[in-house]
Amino acid sequence: MIFPFTALVNQDEMKTALILNVIDPSIGGLLIMGEKGTGKSTAVRALADLLPDIEAVKDCPFTCDADGTLCSDCRDMLAKDGHLHQEPRKMRVVELPLGVTEDRLVGTLDIEHAIRHGEKRFEPGILADANRNFLYVDEVNLLEDHIVDLLLDSAAMGVNTVEREGISFVHPARFMLVGTMNPEEGDLRPQLLDRFGLCVSVTSLRDKKQRVEILKRKAAFDSDPEAFYATWVAGQEKLAAKIIAARESLAAIPVDDDVLEKIVSITSALSLDGHRADIVMMKTSHALAAFRGLSTIGSDEIKDASWFALRHRLKRLPFEEVGAEREKVNAALAQI
Amino acid sequence: MSCSSFIGHDEAKRTLILNAIDARCGGVLFVGEKGCGKSTLARSLRSILPGGTPFVELPLNVTEDALLGTISIEETLRTGTRVFQAGIFSRAHGGVLFIDDVNLLSPEIVSLVLEVQSRSENVIEREGLSVRHPASFILVASMYPGEGDLSPHLLDRFGMCWGFESLREASQRIAVMRAATDADSPDADWELTRRISSARNMLPQVTVRDRLLEYIADICLTYHVAGHRADIYLLAAARAQAALHGKRDVSREEIDLVVPLVLMHRRRELQPPPPPEQQEEPERSQEPPPESQQQHEEPPPPEQQDEEQDEQKETPPQPQELPPQDEEVFSVGEPFKMKRLFFRKDRTERAASGRRTRTRARNRGGRYVKSVFRKSRDIAIDATLRAAAPFQRIRNRTDIVVIDEDDFRYKRKERKMGHLAVFVVDGSGSMGAQKRMVAAKGAIQSLLIDCYQKRDLVSMIVFRKDHAEVVLEPTASVEHAARRLREIPVGGKTPLGAGLFETYRLLERVGRKHPETRFLVVLITDGRANQSMSGMAPDEEIARMATLLNEQSGIDMIVVDTEEKGRFTTTDRALSIATLLGADYYTINELKADILTDMVQTNKTLTIG
Repeated sequence: MIFPFTALVNQDEMKTALILNVIDPSIGGLLIMGEKGTGKSTAVRALADLLPDIEAVKDCPFTCDADGTLCSDCRDMLAKDGHLHQEPRKMRVVELPLGVTEDRLVGTLDIEHAIRHGEKRFEPGILADANRNFLYVDEVNLLEDHIVDLLLDSAAMGVNTVEREGISFVHPARFMLVGTMNPEEGDLRPQLLDRFGLCVSVTSLRDKKQRVEILKRKAAFDSDPEAFYATWVAGQEKLAAKIIAARESLAAIPVDDDVLEKIVSITSALSLDGHRADIVMMKTSHALAAFRGLSTIGSDEIKDASWFALRHRLKRLPFEEVGAEREKVNAALAQI
Repeated sequence: MSCSSFIGHDEAKRTLILNAIDARCGGVLFVGEKGCGKSTLARSLRSILPGGTPFVELPLNVTEDALLGTISIEETLRTGTRVFQAGIFSRAHGGVLFIDDVNLLSPEIVSLVLEVQSRSENVIEREGLSVRHPASFILVASMYPGEGDLSPHLLDRFGMCWGFESLREASQRIAVMRAATDADSPDADWELTRRISSARNMLPQVTVRDRLLEYIADICLTYHVAGHRADIYLLAAARAQAALHGKRDVSREEIDLVVPLVLMHRRRELQPPPPPEQQEEPERSQEPPPESQQQHEEPPPPEQQDEEQDEQKETPPQPQELPPQDEEVFSVGEPFKMKRLFFRKDRTERAASGRRTRTRARNRGGRYVKSVFRKSRDIAIDATLRAAAPFQRIRNRTDIVVIDEDDFRYKRKERKMGHLAVFVVDGSGSMGAQKRMVAAKGAIQSLLIDCYQKRDLVSMIVFRKDHAEVVLEPTASVEHAARRLREIPVGGKTPLGAGLFETYRLLERVGRKHPETRFLVVLITDGRANQSMSGMAPDEEIARMATLLNEQSGIDMIVVDTEEKGRFTTTDRALSIATLLGADYYTINELKADILTDMVQTNKTLTIG
């Protein structure tokens, strides 16, 4: 039994950022920074319960989208049958443990099949599971460099190309990377940092009432998880429905030129390199508007999105204090 | 030895009893001197746990395979299907995982333990296996802090912590000797076990009133604990304590009884603990309550301390001792662009492995990241099988997989090779002259940027007045280091020998835990040593320390001279200290990139790439 997402006390930034990624997976994931014991992992694991269904090719282990990039198998099937049969499937949170080895990450030869039938067959790895799902790495800053290289590679390409042990296989690997880290334990490679669409920071709550509430809920959950869940199920269902509604309304919310201009004026005021920041900001404010049930993207959405999308992209001298960033963003925001 | 016959240390015993009553108490860490009975007492937990509860010890030499579980060679070869062989996590499920000398455990293993413990599940994605099994266990551990510290992350996971002191009383010491030789009577713990079991039965009925939850939150806020684990562990411990008392309702008394056990290791350490001799100094009366009061049963009334006060506490605690004019905190000079300083002994390795902070782990440990053809000691059974698998029909496999010479694959293991740059900074009054400290801080800042880019660990030692202290324990967070750098004050005499001795102690401590660590010691001083700690002449003391440091392997040393050159007061004493240490010598100006390039071109044997 997982602790219900809606039962998490406060930490609204983190919760919203996670939800926005569900509404529009192309936002590109989330990095949660924060000190120990602030519920980072609990929140990510709890997200699983709120995830909607997506359409995927029936029985495809790679969760291929018939209208998107296809895996080698689906491509063959499409060539043979002329069409692909889709089925609804629940989105998932796939975990990447720290001790992972390369073969399990990218996939490898299926040993049993090879021994029994004397033929080579691809056995999907974690990247296959992660396609169109959340890929969750706890303590992402402690991940082995070698594994990070592989992750970055497929994140950049959106596909996982396997050429090993006489196997040739390609499958789509577009995942929402969600990482948690405690900055005291070490920094993250800048390249990997940039891969996270959004970034939030969590601290422990200093409000007594909220702390007591955390204690109560935790104690209630520990003593009877099922009963505790039952008291939250209505809220969970309501939030899940709201997320689905937001996903569906996304297409109807226009992204006007003046929204784009506002975004560009912010990012250029902060002299950010590349276009990833612009694109992520656009998608985030769009998803925020959908989540808030609006029909247009307002200045508030752009403002709120900017902090999620920009804080880890700001050019910062290695030792500049974190507080300085917020001022810079605020200064840029004041202009719109 | 049974728990009941263990002499003294009643509080430590209580931590075990509470954990035996309710596993949600989150385990315990025993901290103390060697030979004070930490491990013996921890192991006695076995005798008070219900029969059949697993108690698994995690040896320091444990490999990743053995911990997580791995592919079973015999079964896999016999059956031709991958068979999982459970590891330590699986055996510890539902019981206790005991780690003796937990601070000596390699960081890779520590992060695995934490990961599995936090999700109460072991997720294996390796060697072609994809297995998950439940793994919830109580962590019990011991450490002797003299041999290295523990990551705050790991520290936070322990529900409780208790510091052992050796028993001083003669009668108790005699009793310990007696107990060590006496054979335990088989039912020594009978009475205790009975009390624990009735407390366990009672536990589900123990309730906590809201008022007391608020009391818990107040305490945690007062002590500025990080995160929310402290609250949760306090609640669990107080309930177990109430059950032990036979009470159905938790009262303040129980909470107060467990506060010292749960908060001992959690109070926010805004500043590394000062060396023990400082604690008696009167100036510390203005500091937050020292350890002894913390353990006091009644926590002080919650007083709201604002952030500003926090900031103040963060600065080193020396100030009040000298008149304020002797004490000055200089700003950090403009950092300059500099060429990278490399670890000299690392260069050949770099060429070989192509990675800076990685080295291939040849002997022990390290993480299995991929399989390769190149022969090593560890056969990668999964990869070997994969290589052999397609040929089994041709090779006429009967009841065991046929493996050819060509099929063998080997594990490539990697482990982080520690690079630690230790900045040994002269904080004496003479560093204040002509604002030498401003330039010195600028130089350190520049070196820190270099470390940041290379993701090396950094540490900082400051020597001034009559002692040296580690103001920054080795950390990967360079921002942390930069903050400490800004705070370094200047004033007092120059105990250079003490600075070198503290350096030696730090290197020894880190080296013991991470034998592959390469050290770069950067001594920043004007060389005007005028204070010895041993009664020897300062210069003689420095010479001794130099010998001591030179005996260590894997250390590169650099002396950065902060003295302004070309004046008639110039002494060049830092140069002679550099010679003594066998260190490379630079003035601050020489550290800057353009001049460095020149030096490299003139082919000096520098450690600069």
